[in-house]
Amino acid sequence: MKYFAAALFFCCIACNEQQKPSTPTTIQKDTITPVAKEIANPYEPVDVSPMDMSYLPVDYPKLKMAKAITTPPIARVIYSRPHRQGRKIFGNLLKWGEPWRLGANEATEIDLFQPITIQNKKIPQGRYILYCIPQENSWTLVFNSNIDSWGLKPDPQKDLFSFQIPVQHSDTTAEYFTIVFQPTAANNRSANLIMAWDDVVAKLLINY
Amino acid sequence: MKKVFFFFCFLTIVLVSQAQTGVKLPALDKSPMDMAYYPPNYPVLRIQDKATEPLTARVIYSRPQKNGRNIFGELVEYEQVWRLGANEATEIEFFKDVKIGNKKIAKGKYTMYAVVHPTSWDIILNKDTDIWGAFKYDSTKDVVRINVPVQKTTDVADAFTITFAKSATGADLIMAWDNIMAALPIAFK
Repeated sequence: MKYFAAALFFCCIACNEQQKPSTPTTIQKDTITPVAKEIANPYEPVDVSPMDMSYLPVDYPKLKMAKAITTPPIARVIYSRPHRQGRKIFGNLLKWGEPWRLGANEATEIDLFQPITIQNKKIPQGRYILYCIPQENSWTLVFNSNIDSWGLKPDPQKDLFSFQIPVQHSDTTAEYFTIVFQPTAANNRSANLIMAWDDVVAKLLINY
Repeated sequence: MKKVFFFFCFLTIVLVSQAQTGVKLPALDKSPMDMAYYPPNYPVLRIQDKATEPLTARVIYSRPQKNGRNIFGELVEYEQVWRLGANEATEIEFFKDVKIGNKKIAKGKYTMYAVVHPTSWDIILNKDTDIWGAFKYDSTKDVVRINVPVQKTTDVADAFTITFAKSATGADLIMAWDNIMAALPIAFK
């Protein structure tokens, strides 16, 4: 048994090594390191589902610092990143047909620094919260005006725009929920808002 | 033995999970971001209908960890401009006009910096937002620069922390790391 386990271990390492050269954009190793429990904080401990921020253009603050960009940003998303911890997420932790805050803690926020267009609908500049209603093959993605709220129960009376988007299943899994913008290859005035967790990837096409 | 087997099964899953997704997903940040509100915990109070005051201020900042290092005077050097956190420069937004020192600060978003001295900090609010770090700090865009004393605390904060505390005139913005704590008075009452 010990030998079997050791063999399996080396097999895993070997597989992983082989994959490396062809996968320059893989999820980095520290994606799977759980947040270290903070030893001491007399004020406010670090959250186990840490917050993060994604800009469009991608890495806007760094581009601005490098003076590689002088125009204002298009959008930014502020969200929290729960981790999978071996659980099945969709259809289990998150129930089909029930609203989900697209993260953890506070409702996920999207700031539009200028108007954008999604599925031929124009969305004015401003601050919104974003939530989704996951189904097996598609998500309903909702822009809602109830900003600065905790994410547990969205108020549907404040829904402003909603979009149906298909979901894809990846053969790999994201340990931490991730939201990121990705420019489309064809057009520099459009980008996908990528939302990925476990083996599910959903993309919302944005034109600006 | 069973445990060992399951551990390796888990390891297999973990290693496989690092493979290609077709989308570049950012790793978890070593200095995670966090948000502080005045009133404290405003989003929770709000959905419970317990907020007695409107949202006045919100800070978005990143939380570097002490990790056994000496912070002030070493990692954060004296007399240098520090972004009050990590990664993106720290952002403060006021949802109504406030006063810092004798200066009226208009509703809006600002970037915060500090210049750390041994017994006091200069706190800076600057108009240049959505930027990284303090590398391109431009003092011509300062809105206010105010000196506040620091206190030595007996408790040690391992992660840099920003939080608000109610005061007689509004709120104090508390900034603490290691055994140092500074408070910036903000008046809006």
